[in-house]
Amino acid sequence: MSDTGISSSSFAARGPSLRALAESALLIATIYLIMGAIYVSVQPSALSAYSIESLFNNSLPLMLAAAGATFVILQGGFDLSVAGVISLVNVVVAVTPLEGPLGALGLLAIALLIGMGVGAVNGLIVAGLKIQAIAATLATMIVCQGAALLVLGAPGGYVSDFMAYELTGSVLGVPLALWIALAGVALWSVYRRTDAGRNLLAVGQDRKAAALSGIDVARTEFFSFVWAGAYYALAAYMLAAQTSTGSPNAGEPFLLLTFAAVALGGTAFGGGRGSVTASLFGAATLMLMQKVMFALGVSSFYTGVIQGLIMILAVLFAAGVQLAIRSGKRP
Amino acid sequence: MTQSSETMDGPATTPQDTRRAQRLSSTSVAVIAIYGLVVAMILLSRAVSPAFGGLSQVETIFYLAAFLVFCAFGQGLVILVRGLDLSIASLITLGGVLSTALMAGSNDGLFYILPAILLACALIGVVSGIGVTFFAIPPFIMTMAVGIIVYSLCLGFTQGTPRGFPSPLLRDLMQARLLAIPAPIWLLLAFVAVGTVLQGYSAFGRKLNAVGNNPEAAYVAGLSARTLTISAYAVSAACAGLTGILLAAYANGATLRMGDDYLLPSIAAVVVGGSSILGGRGSFLGTVGGALLLTTLATILSALGIGQGWKTILEGLVILVALIVLREQVFDALQAGLRGLKKG
Amino acid sequence: MTELLSIDGLTKRYGATVALSGVRMAIRPGEVHAVLGENGAGKSTLVKLLSGVARPDEGRRAIDGADYAPTSIGQARAAGVSTAFQELSLVPRLTVAENLLLPAVSSRWYWPERRSAIMRRAQAILDRWGVADIRPAAIVADLTLAQRQRVEIARALGHASRLLILDEPTAALPDTTWLFAQIRRVTAEGVGVLYISHRLSEVREICERATVLRNGESIGTVDLEGVDDNGIFAMMVGRGPANERRTRTDPPADGRVMIEARGLKGGLLRGVDLTLRAGEIIGVAGLEGQGQHELFRILGGASRLGSGEIRVGGQRAALGSPLRAQRTPPGIAFVPEERKTEGIFGNLTAAANIALPEFANRGWARLVNGRVERRLSAEPAERVSLAPRYLDFEVANLSGGNQQKVLLARALMTRAQILVLFDPARGVDVGTKQSIYAMMQRFAAQGGAILFYSSELSELVQLSTRCLVLYDGRIAAEVPRQAMSEERLLAAAHGAGEAPAAGRAGNGMRMAG
Repeated sequence: MSDTGISSSSFAARGPSLRALAESALLIATIYLIMGAIYVSVQPSALSAYSIESLFNNSLPLMLAAAGATFVILQGGFDLSVAGVISLVNVVVAVTPLEGPLGALGLLAIALLIGMGVGAVNGLIVAGLKIQAIAATLATMIVCQGAALLVLGAPGGYVSDFMAYELTGSVLGVPLALWIALAGVALWSVYRRTDAGRNLLAVGQDRKAAALSGIDVARTEFFSFVWAGAYYALAAYMLAAQTSTGSPNAGEPFLLLTFAAVALGGTAFGGGRGSVTASLFGAATLMLMQKVMFALGVSSFYTGVIQGLIMILAVLFAAGVQLAIRSGKRP
Repeated sequence: MTQSSETMDGPATTPQDTRRAQRLSSTSVAVIAIYGLVVAMILLSRAVSPAFGGLSQVETIFYLAAFLVFCAFGQGLVILVRGLDLSIASLITLGGVLSTALMAGSNDGLFYILPAILLACALIGVVSGIGVTFFAIPPFIMTMAVGIIVYSLCLGFTQGTPRGFPSPLLRDLMQARLLAIPAPIWLLLAFVAVGTVLQGYSAFGRKLNAVGNNPEAAYVAGLSARTLTISAYAVSAACAGLTGILLAAYANGATLRMGDDYLLPSIAAVVVGGSSILGGRGSFLGTVGGALLLTTLATILSALGIGQGWKTILEGLVILVALIVLREQVFDALQAGLRGLKKG
Repeated sequence: MTELLSIDGLTKRYGATVALSGVRMAIRPGEVHAVLGENGAGKSTLVKLLSGVARPDEGRRAIDGADYAPTSIGQARAAGVSTAFQELSLVPRLTVAENLLLPAVSSRWYWPERRSAIMRRAQAILDRWGVADIRPAAIVADLTLAQRQRVEIARALGHASRLLILDEPTAALPDTTWLFAQIRRVTAEGVGVLYISHRLSEVREICERATVLRNGESIGTVDLEGVDDNGIFAMMVGRGPANERRTRTDPPADGRVMIEARGLKGGLLRGVDLTLRAGEIIGVAGLEGQGQHELFRILGGASRLGSGEIRVGGQRAALGSPLRAQRTPPGIAFVPEERKTEGIFGNLTAAANIALPEFANRGWARLVNGRVERRLSAEPAERVSLAPRYLDFEVANLSGGNQQKVLLARALMTRAQILVLFDPARGVDVGTKQSIYAMMQRFAAQGGAILFYSSELSELVQLSTRCLVLYDGRIAAEVPRQAMSEERLLAAAHGAGEAPAAGRAGNGMRMAG
């Protein structure tokens, strides 16, 4: 029901294109590129192969974590377990001595197993027992953090040379981290057009209509948590490679930053609108922003002020675009 | 957020009211259960070691729980109006940092500095509240962003190292005893009394309940839903500031990360205390029980010499179990079972 | 003859509330079978049990003699049963094509199908059911309500190889020609149709038999040929149709002016003037979507006024919010249409719900407990005949009728002298209706003024001292008490003043489904 009842048809023609814009990652990608341009102009050395590599290596874990969280947020849920899973997987990788490429592959399998396992538990509690996602994943996050402390009481451990060097290097002149991010984008582009991906968005838009349309809502919820867990695990795995060490508190900084990145990407909290690609860019933007502010000489003490303001502005902007679309549709 | 298709709509209208008024609402049952659990845990801990279960242990638990209760009250109000306050950690830090820096180890100006700090915190809460109500920013994002900004300001203000000391008066107060009971416990009791009346038995509390229960209906019924919501955030921020001031007095100094240990536990205490994280249902006594339960558990586990890892795991499991047990379906099932017994 | 669908002893409870009890009915192959009953009689619950949304507590359902116990929409579809839901089950930001094909849009689950192929398959469905004016690529949220309803029905038609369930399929459809043509097509192939509608004329046109539900029980199945409207109505309400009307005297024509509105515009409202005097009960009639929502929300303070002027108690008033409307003397209390979303506080007791305005207007530090609220709410509760024992109930546990009484009691609690009520007796049982009518008449007799909208013509005729008929955002007619009849109102509601199809007139006539 329209409260304001704006009667204007001038937006009608623009509606669909605005909507397409709002639902794509174009906006945040543009912001990212602009920020990149600023960074390069302030600090030309940023274009060196080493700088680019390290920028992507630094950004990748948060990008992957945000990508994972997006799966849950898109269906209208919430997943705080991200911090716990990253801590747990990070220390497991750091205490399991497997060398060489095969070892790295084995560790990846273990990491994914843990991440998807925790995700499955989350899914069972939320979708099966009908417990509020925020509260339930808060509990699993704490349990995972405890488990991480059991595995490794203090920062340390050992990460194989192969992981520490090869996984943070470049392939065909492009940083491996970028390849992985691109793979994430490609995967999402396919996934969102499959039935599972479409159902994920449908559930987030209107749970009841989705259920009455024959979508298995509980199953969709369950798998969103499982996929999220897989992405968190990958994030923790890459974090271990990047830092060459493990820490039982590795996940803590991710708790808030992950959601900040998702918000920056324009994904709606509450579900139904947004994309994993946008979250990847959101996270990358968040990390790049720190570099830009450093390059601009903003005291590192105050970067948080700008981060916070940008988060609020991003959400306001996305809401404004939605408002424009909606008012464009009024008869 | 999640609903089974079974309960999606419920009956459109029901022909008759066959259900009798429930003498005890599910919320009060949850509160009683929580306190029972706390008492049981303290008594059981005696079986593990005779050193436990004594009055001194109870005292310690109350003492430690006090700080959690202070900030969980505000968190509870915000959750009651369908929000979530993630800025608590930063505001605790702000309260601590400002009070030590401004009072700088003297009692001068205590009586205007403290209210000024609480007011400043409340104003920050108002900002969060305005973002949530007037700009429709999700509470999670808004309070997180405000938290990041406030923390960053604390960082800049202290240049990384908080200076100064709490006022000696406050510091002594935290150590003082009145009628053989530590002053902070008196403070806790007074706070709980005021908080219970405010949330459960005042017009303000009733209105917050109504807003959390159904914001649209509250608006149509003539409540200023926005003002009420904003005031919940303001109270929460002020409570966090108070927690910070008292913590700094207790620890004789502030640190930048002093609030971190209270953010998630404040949410956990509210949820374990039987409030719905969706808003519109909850009691402060339940939250106090939740805080006591979490603190008791932590104290016993520490005293048992259990490692931090297992301790954390058990805490998480307790939250999980509380969530599963305190679900409304479980109460409905219990009540249905009782009815069946009476009939049979 | 073998039955297509047979139901026996079907019972469904929600908590302690019995929604359906021992329902028994049968549908033959190729038959269009109506299910009739008042709101709350259990029709929606029956639809849920048959479409796999909810599971019964007791009873047997069978399709073609074989047990039928679906636990999901998918299972129901697999058994050839499909439903077009009243509240429409389309996902708003997906395309028509995707909605038609959900939950398996692509032909392979693991890989996306080409968009053009999806659109082709959806177009085939639309073509098959004669839907020519909707593109498969359109976003559902951009469609009109009538178009959405047809998409919903087309989707159900496609899945219904044995039984098609239509729950108020014409609620948003201006014309039944298309729907009835499709129904005849599927029944010719032996598919059974369970048809739910408030419109008796429509039911008589397409259905052969009808099963009547009342208070969750099946009263009986009748051949529609052999029973007249009054007979059906009697089965639905359990007694003959109410004919009490004009039980009160006319108000003084010179009562104090409470509301005077000039040129109200906003949303669908395109310029309305009205004057409401003390002692008056003005009824507002109109088909769905003629601006009545806007009119009531504006006067209740819940929506902004586009343009125009409102004077309350002689003073120019900017209502702005329901709170300000309440506080503008002599006070306006608004009871909105959506009881669940805008009315009740489900977790609070009835007493707390009623007493709330008392706290809204007075100090925040005032102490409150259950006893205070019970004391405060006792008087308004009595005025709406709400039994005192319900005051301790959480409102979510009350029946729809009692919830409505709670809302009206809350409006009285504000001590406002003007009540703005949107469909105050919608979906409540006959007894509650009478209590509400009595309250309204007493309120006006004591010098208050009431503006109310109703979707039931009989209600308007019975209660109004005069009636305003909205059409296309304006007042198309003002019908004084002497000239009031359901036929007259209905004619005016259709705009040009022509009388509608004769079959639509009669008892229990409704303007919106």
